Amino acid sequence: MPRSTPETRFAEMKRYVVFSDEDAARLAAFRATAAPHFERLTQEFYDRIRLHEEAHAVFTGEAQIARLQRSLVRWLERVFGGTYDEVYYAETAAIGRMHVKVGLPQRYMFTAMALIRVSLIDLAEASGPDGIQVARSICRLLDLELAIMLESYRDDSIARIQHVERLEKEVLGRSLAQAQHRYVNAVELARVVILGLDDAGTIKLFNREAERVTGFARDEVLGAKFVDVLGIDPDRDGARIRELLSTFFATTGEAATSPVTDVPPLETAIRGKAGHGRIIRWHFTHAPTDGDDVSVFALGLDTTDERALLERTKQQERLAAIGTMAAGLAHEIRNPLNGAQLHTTFLDLALRDINANSELLDTVHVVRDEIRRLGGLVTEFLDFARPRPLVVKPVDVRTLFDRVAQMTAAQAQGREVTVTLDLPTTPIEFLADRAKLEQVLLNLVQNAIEALERGGKAVLRARRQPRTVTIEVEDNGPGIPSGSPIFDAFYSTKSQGTGLGLSISHRIVTDHGGTIDVVTGTGATIFRVVLPIEGPQTMSPHSPEGRNDG
Amino acid sequence: MIPKTSNDAASAPPMKILLVDDDERSGHMLAGLLRREGFTVEVCPGGLSGLQRLACEPAPDVLVTDLRMPQIDGITVARLARSHSPAMPIFIVTAYPDLARRLDGIDPAPQMFIKPLDYPVLVEALRGLPRGKRA
Repeated sequence: MPRSTPETRFAEMKRYVVFSDEDAARLAAFRATAAPHFERLTQEFYDRIRLHEEAHAVFTGEAQIARLQRSLVRWLERVFGGTYDEVYYAETAAIGRMHVKVGLPQRYMFTAMALIRVSLIDLAEASGPDGIQVARSICRLLDLELAIMLESYRDDSIARIQHVERLEKEVLGRSLAQAQHRYVNAVELARVVILGLDDAGTIKLFNREAERVTGFARDEVLGAKFVDVLGIDPDRDGARIRELLSTFFATTGEAATSPVTDVPPLETAIRGKAGHGRIIRWHFTHAPTDGDDVSVFALGLDTTDERALLERTKQQERLAAIGTMAAGLAHEIRNPLNGAQLHTTFLDLALRDINANSELLDTVHVVRDEIRRLGGLVTEFLDFARPRPLVVKPVDVRTLFDRVAQMTAAQAQGREVTVTLDLPTTPIEFLADRAKLEQVLLNLVQNAIEALERGGKAVLRARRQPRTVTIEVEDNGPGIPSGSPIFDAFYSTKSQGTGLGLSISHRIVTDHGGTIDVVTGTGATIFRVVLPIEGPQTMSPHSPEGRNDG
Repeated sequence: MIPKTSNDAASAPPMKILLVDDDERSGHMLAGLLRREGFTVEVCPGGLSGLQRLACEPAPDVLVTDLRMPQIDGITVARLARSHSPAMPIFIVTAYPDLARRLDGIDPAPQMFIKPLDYPVLVEALRGLPRGKRA
């Protein structure tokens, strides 16, 4: 039987049960005989159901049964309609879907069909000699009805399974996404170098911290040997790592399934991409698994800075010890200097008494000046090495400025420069260690005077802000080369300088909780000291006994 | 062989200075220089002899003392001097000025001179002492 269009499912089913046009015609012809019995048949059908508790329980109530009774009549009319085309198929499928929707168990669909079938066959057989033929047609069609409706159940089952599968997939996907999110981020964001290695020590995983510490991008190192790419000394550290990895791989089989974590850390030097050295403390973990070639995780902590800090601390302790010793020595130097100075004084006077020539006197004066210089150096050194606690009291800026001006007047006059004070009319008072600030300003003004040419000008200025007082020392000298480490100890551009003055000033100002900086440019150099009006707020490290300790 | 000069305060009796310093050579040199200025100077080569001297009459007009000395230090000497003569000017010449903090609160405050001593400044300070303050 050649067909121009593909056979539909319904056609295929009809072909299988051999439902022919004769069957259709026979059913249509029987309709007139059967129709008067439809009401009775449906009544009996539902009475039967009422007797069966479980089947009856499928329905919500008599109203529904009445509605369904009418539907059953319509269905019977359809069964004997005589047209069994694709529209018929679609209608039956819709009825099947309704059964699925209301949750009618398949067994009731079958048994109900059996009840109707028996009633209809009885009708057919009672109708006459052709009754058996009609009964056969009825059976074929009712089986087609069942088959079509079963398709609905099957489609529904498939849909349900697909739905469940989709849900499961979604859940799985979510948990995968979660796991991925958690672990990828944990690995990527950890401030720990994390490497995944295979059995051959090849890098398979290289996290962001590893990139940061080594300077290598992961593309550059994935697939390379861990020891080689990080420039680990192959003889010492490299050998230790190889030995460690070989102990991992010696434990094969069952023992290898649980992670080996109790491996002592191993510290190695590595070389980054730019050739820079870092110290890494590694924790190796053996965690092999089927389905992943990464069997070893190397977790590394960059201990370079920690080590450097430790070194610096040790260095500072050494320096502190040396400082204490040097301070003791510096004090003690003052005694022989004193003896030398007194004897030089005597020599000077005695030479004058005998009218010695000026060359001799000048020589003695040089010795006297050098001793004085040594004494000054000792004092400055001691100020630097062993700063004394701050003595914080109210300080009047004008008084402070007047004293500084007075103390520098001779020097300014000698170098033919002028020092002027620039103060607001309203007095400024703030909390500070007067003597220490005097030392700072003296240092700054003296530096300014020394920097000036003849006729140069220096200004000592103060201004008050709500919470701070700003003191400036400005000169119109040649300025300071940019980048000079002027606040560093022992940095000096003066042949007679100790290089401690600004360093001490810096410390005094910061001890007060203030700042000192310098602006230098063409025509003016300004040292600016900003101090809190309320004095130092926290105890400075150099005044452990507190601010009121004298 | 201390060179001599004329005594500025010829009319008044010379100021009597008690100089306490365990560094004998420096002490004697300073004493010599001060005598040359016209002062009367007694030298004690340590804290103990300083205390002994202060226990005797007549009291000096001024005490000039080192601070850091073995056994009896300059602080003790200065305190005793003040307890005997509350107005006695005290000059401290020391390599360890921090030690003088132990004299904080003593009135009138001692004058501090850090070694190496700026000799003209000391002489000026001695000359500038009001006559009335002399015991």
